[in-house]
Amino acid sequence: MSSTKSVIISAAGLGSRLGLAKTKALININGKSLIRWQLDLFKDVEDVRIVVGFQAHDVIDEVRGYRDDVIFVYNHNYFDSKTGASYYLGARDGNELAIEFDGDLLVHPEDMQMLLEQEGEWIAYADKMSDDAVLVKTNQVGDVLSFSRERGDYEWTGPCCVTKDKLRYSSGHVFNQLEPYLPMRGIKIRACDIDTYEDYQRALEFIKRW
Amino acid sequence: MTKFIFDLDGTVTKQETLPLISKHFGIQAEMDNLTMETVKGNIPFIESFIRRVYILGQLPIDEVCDLLEGVELYEKVVDFISQHSEDCLIATGNLECWVDKLAKKVGCCCYCSDGLIEDNKVLKLTSILKKENLVQRYQSEGEKVVFIGDGNNDVEAMRMADVSIGSGLTHMPANSVLSIADYLVFNEEALCRQLNQLL
Repeated sequence: MSSTKSVIISAAGLGSRLGLAKTKALININGKSLIRWQLDLFKDVEDVRIVVGFQAHDVIDEVRGYRDDVIFVYNHNYFDSKTGASYYLGARDGNELAIEFDGDLLVHPEDMQMLLEQEGEWIAYADKMSDDAVLVKTNQVGDVLSFSRERGDYEWTGPCCVTKDKLRYSSGHVFNQLEPYLPMRGIKIRACDIDTYEDYQRALEFIKRW
Repeated sequence: MTKFIFDLDGTVTKQETLPLISKHFGIQAEMDNLTMETVKGNIPFIESFIRRVYILGQLPIDEVCDLLEGVELYEKVVDFISQHSEDCLIATGNLECWVDKLAKKVGCCCYCSDGLIEDNKVLKLTSILKKENLVQRYQSEGEKVVFIGDGNNDVEAMRMADVSIGSGLTHMPANSVLSIADYLVFNEEALCRQLNQLL
């Protein structure tokens, strides 16, 4: 992968909707923590930056059991901020192109590899699966036209990739960071977002099909 | 322009230097006790530092200086410093007379505490480096300041710096450092990657 890209995994949140009393990075998916499944996807990426907040010590220990060359980025204000802030914090001192990967996301390894090989900026989305989804409206060639809670063709799952100069500190979500730059190139992938316990059950099945 | 200020012990050197000195001269127990009480918070850092210097001040300066000259360094970090020596600084609470030769090996400007020397010993401390003053000075000159450190005596400087990097190269940074750091790294590759991205 080009050295002008950084991967930012946002793992600062509380994971409160999931109800498993721990940050999502540490939940067990078929015998392995979620963050380790994600790190497997990025084993050939040099600049992996993990944004930590809630249970930072535990997440750091878990990651270091796997690789030691990650740059940990603190989101000290994790309780009052969302993934949009973590994306900015993770990207601001990284490489020019910043790939954002939510800490609650699983992407099929073949699709993630394909995304890592893409040039320039893009937004990835998947078939609707989650209970509490943000949807994307696309045109005939798959470009992303808008995000919506009410209607759309696909589920916004991420990841996405934009130049870091487009990002600002914000109180919103990642898709709010992207909205001013739409339409953007869209890519459909196989992915699974884990927000609720039902999503978690679906993720277990999703991984079995890999 | 960007100035990179490095703590010395455990950030550029692979070992903490004060424990190394005390081990070499067989005064480990006395120093360890003081360090432990400081870590527990029973003795304030500055008081602990003054007491440690008083104990170590009785030792022959030339021998201490030679000992520290031989301490192992993080080579990639030193490479970064030597490639950007005009923009890199070392900030250490150690006395200049002890780290003089070590600092020359690193190859950039080094700011230290100072003492009054007599008969190859430290008679008394004359100044204690406040790392935050260095940060303030370079910021007032319009520089962006990046501070890399791991200890309680780095916290104020890191809080004021434009970018602060907790260094876990030798040991986990103090909790006070983790509570304010922008970044945390555990190996030289990660640290140097981040430093290069900040150039």
